Amino acid sequence: MTRPALDQRAVRRWLSGLTRDNRHWIQGTVAAGTLAGVATIIQMVFLARIVHLGIIEKAPASELAPLFTGLVLAIVARAVAQGVQTQLAARCSEQVRRTARRQIHQHWRNLGPLALGQISAGSLAREWIDHVDALHGYFARFLPQMALSLVVPVLILALVFYLDWLAGIFLLLSAPLIPLFMALVGMGAEKLNQQHFETISRLSGQFLDKVRGLTTLQLFGQTASATEVIQQRSDHYRRITLKTLRVAFLSSAVLEFFASVAIAVIAIYIGFGLLGYIAYGPSPDLTLFSGLLILLLAPEFFQPLRTLSQHYHDRAAALGAGAEILARLGSAGQEAAPANTGAEDAEVEPLTFKPAACLDAIELTSVSLAFRPDHKVLNSVSLAIGKGDVIALTGPSGGGKSTLLNLLAGFLAPDSGDIHLFGRPAGSFAFGWLGQSGFLVHGTWADNLRLTSPDASDVAIEAALRNVGLGALLDSREDGIFSKLSEDGQGLSGGQARRLSLARIFVADYDVILLDEPTAGLDSDSEIHVLEALHKLALAGKTLIFSTHHQALLALANRVLLVSGGEVRDV
Amino acid sequence: MSELKPWLKLIFGRSGRLFIGALLMLAALLSGLGLLALSGWFITETALVGILLAASVPATINLYVPGGGIRFFAVSRTVSRYVERLYNHDTVLRLLTDIRVDLFHRLAAAGRGQRRELTGAQWLSRLTSDVDALDTLYLRLIAPASLAAFVTLVLFALAAVLFDIRIATGVVLMLGVAFVLATLAVYVRTVKIASRQSDQQEALRMAVVEHLEGFAELTAAGRTGKHGAWLMRQAHQAVSEQVKADSRTGWHLAGSNLLINLSAVFALWAGFELFRSGAISGPVLVLLPIALLGLAEVYSMLPEAFGKLGATQASAARLNRDCRNAEWPVASGDISLPADTALIAKDMKIKYPEHAPLFTHFDLQVKTGERLGILGHSGSGKSSLADVFSGLLIPSNGACASLPCAYLTQKTVLFEDTLRANLLLGDPDASDARLWRVLELVDLAERFRTEEDQLDTWLGSSGSRLSGGEARRVALARVLMSPASLLILDEPFTGVDTATREKITRQMDPWLEGKTVISLAHGPDALPGTDRVIQLGV
Repeated sequence: MTRPALDQRAVRRWLSGLTRDNRHWIQGTVAAGTLAGVATIIQMVFLARIVHLGIIEKAPASELAPLFTGLVLAIVARAVAQGVQTQLAARCSEQVRRTARRQIHQHWRNLGPLALGQISAGSLAREWIDHVDALHGYFARFLPQMALSLVVPVLILALVFYLDWLAGIFLLLSAPLIPLFMALVGMGAEKLNQQHFETISRLSGQFLDKVRGLTTLQLFGQTASATEVIQQRSDHYRRITLKTLRVAFLSSAVLEFFASVAIAVIAIYIGFGLLGYIAYGPSPDLTLFSGLLILLLAPEFFQPLRTLSQHYHDRAAALGAGAEILARLGSAGQEAAPANTGAEDAEVEPLTFKPAACLDAIELTSVSLAFRPDHKVLNSVSLAIGKGDVIALTGPSGGGKSTLLNLLAGFLAPDSGDIHLFGRPAGSFAFGWLGQSGFLVHGTWADNLRLTSPDASDVAIEAALRNVGLGALLDSREDGIFSKLSEDGQGLSGGQARRLSLARIFVADYDVILLDEPTAGLDSDSEIHVLEALHKLALAGKTLIFSTHHQALLALANRVLLVSGGEVRDV
Repeated sequence: MSELKPWLKLIFGRSGRLFIGALLMLAALLSGLGLLALSGWFITETALVGILLAASVPATINLYVPGGGIRFFAVSRTVSRYVERLYNHDTVLRLLTDIRVDLFHRLAAAGRGQRRELTGAQWLSRLTSDVDALDTLYLRLIAPASLAAFVTLVLFALAAVLFDIRIATGVVLMLGVAFVLATLAVYVRTVKIASRQSDQQEALRMAVVEHLEGFAELTAAGRTGKHGAWLMRQAHQAVSEQVKADSRTGWHLAGSNLLINLSAVFALWAGFELFRSGAISGPVLVLLPIALLGLAEVYSMLPEAFGKLGATQASAARLNRDCRNAEWPVASGDISLPADTALIAKDMKIKYPEHAPLFTHFDLQVKTGERLGILGHSGSGKSSLADVFSGLLIPSNGACASLPCAYLTQKTVLFEDTLRANLLLGDPDASDARLWRVLELVDLAERFRTEEDQLDTWLGSSGSRLSGGEARRVALARVLMSPASLLILDEPFTGVDTATREKITRQMDPWLEGKTVISLAHGPDALPGTDRVIQLGV
């Protein structure tokens, strides 16, 4: 697939934006690389000098010794600069990836839980982890090498011109070809990379498909024929890929060819010059020193470019990953504008708000929201809910119950109208939320409850777990609340997970608790515990608002609201 | 290293190709070394002859042999490098096929119980990055390392012949240290980090998914930022480890380069003594150090490859673990099928490791031609029972025997392939007419007659998308195609609406004439026609 050029430009802009924040790391890397290049040049100068003095002038060992010392020093400097270069490069990539991850996470928070819930957690995690890691090679290798493949050859070229301008011209003649090389190499590498990734992903897709359905294949006794298919397709793709490779590798072969020919031409030119066969230009002035030095420098002139061509796939990988990340970052901007987008967590929000409305009621004033222009989910709804009320929202599915809950939570912003909970805007303070699926993290029971209430005492945690009927399960575990949630590979059932979430609400002691179908899809055991727990919360004077069709829950409420056709009214 | 053994055996199954590939790499490398060394020799020789000529001392030089040699090396370097890359990439792709086929064989040989249940993402990473680590093992690691060792020995011989054995030994000692520094030492210093990396990545991925799943609750509690910052720290820690490994690899590369350069300096310094004593000529003195400098090219490939060896080992270990050739557990009892019986189960106990047994002392006998329904709520062990009936699962106690059967698993599994290919799995020799008849039976004939490609309609993500109920009916049709005389249907009508379900039930009856059918479902209305119904877990 070819991505549109505009898209690529945007990705490059984003990548260079990441560069901007970490410029000094890249500059450091390039500086170290340049230093290594300079040390290499100095090494070659010493080497040529030593050979010239020793062989032509028959200098004694004592005269050569200081030169040898210089040579060794240059070599050591080169090695140190090389080491520092890789270290700085690794650091640079570390910083860039941190910046990118922070950006993506900030974007998730801007999106809000509702919009985020629409996207598969697996693919979001892949973007956050793998795609960001794919930027590594670009920043650690490609970008610095890009600068180095300009700086180092120019330095070498200047020196060669100084030594013998005719040899310099040989190198220079290949210099205008360098951009051509780069384009060639680039096109080749890009195509190669694309082809490679497409092939691999297509093949692995088909292979994955077969592996997933292996049981079915076994049941029908078809594994042998499936193996044959895998073999055939793999082989087919190999042949197609090789066809592309034949062309793609040509570009680097051209680079290789020019480098080899330049070295050969220079060697033969210098040889003839030294023999005195060339009377033209600077040739008569050639010595073994200048001749050998030019020869030693010639491969170093092409080396940075060869390295760059090896790193070209890093660029393609970063562009690919960047395009996907950017697509996600971009898609969101227009869609969601939830109220709860503060960069800071709600609990650290300053409490110096101006009370805009009644302090002991939840108030909706002319709230309207439409997902499609022709269909208003809520049409100018005004509503007041008292503190300590237990409200059941009922009505047909798609009637707007969940929307209303999300508005109260601040996960959604209304098109028009105001929502205030006890005088504060929705989502500006901590509250209890129980979604359709419970949520748990790998760790102990205590870890799971302290996720939302870091300061909760052990006693409070245990009490909360007993309040939601998880006491028996807890007693069966050796270390109580400090035992792992999922021991022996046995996780919690869906109902138990939801009760765990409910326990978080118990521990935290929120004033407002919003619950979306708290009993839907629960086994009868969990259902009883959830009902009991909600009853306890209601008795404790909490304001509970839940959507439900469940008779027992409707009975628990002291007020039942019917949400239907854009309206909310008492039943 | 033992985890790599089966894979190395597989890779070296193509030893002919590997050898030719290595020879091509050697040719490219020697051409590069030859080009520089010969050029250095040529320039020195011409400089000396030039001085003699300038002083009007008669001297001769053969320009054709070195000139031709330089031109030859220039061309052979380019050509051999191009051919080598093409040939070796071909080899890698062949190895990829070999590894996949081998993996699939191993997986197919293992029973379902033995196969670890991995998520799609985990399989994907096994089949891409883990397999990739192995298929490039030769090209990245084995070939360059043996090549570096071989060329080092060539240079040792060259030094011994041209200079003397003392200098040759000194050079080879320095290169030996450089070799260890670029290979073994890198491996030792990165193996822990590299092998940890994948587990760390997996743990991080889980944490991110948890974070996203709990996003609403965390946002409500005002903890998204705090938990996000914790995640950032986890990610950062993983990256920092990687940075550490990268830096170490970089320093080792620099170190081995240093030693290679120093060996050239040593050769030059020691060579001057020989030169002064007249044992060697000036051009020969220049040749060896330049050739040594050229060694850096092959050595520089090594540290990165060896820095990843730990990760490669971890990949191999994961593949070995997840796709191991598990032996079938021996059934605890054997039982023969009485006449007129399609299935018999005696005193069966079904139990998963570390779980309470689902059934104990389970007995069942099903006559041929009988239509048995089995009812049970979710979690009552219906599907495990069906797995045992079909032979996928071995009971931990007792025995079960049955006629050859076709089994509709609870999970609908369709392949990304044509409708025809999906159906033919049930009966590879079926005619198109028969396929259409069975499609009619599950009320899908109309649906696919309107498709442009009819039976060749592509199913799956890239083709025509089926609804859950439609996919279920294709899977049902596939089982109905089977010539097996016993059918086991686990929740055959998931996602199928009542009217269609009734229609299919009606049409299935005559089609299944003479066959034995065991259907399992959560409620009586989800069962096709039955003669007898048993209830589980009451």
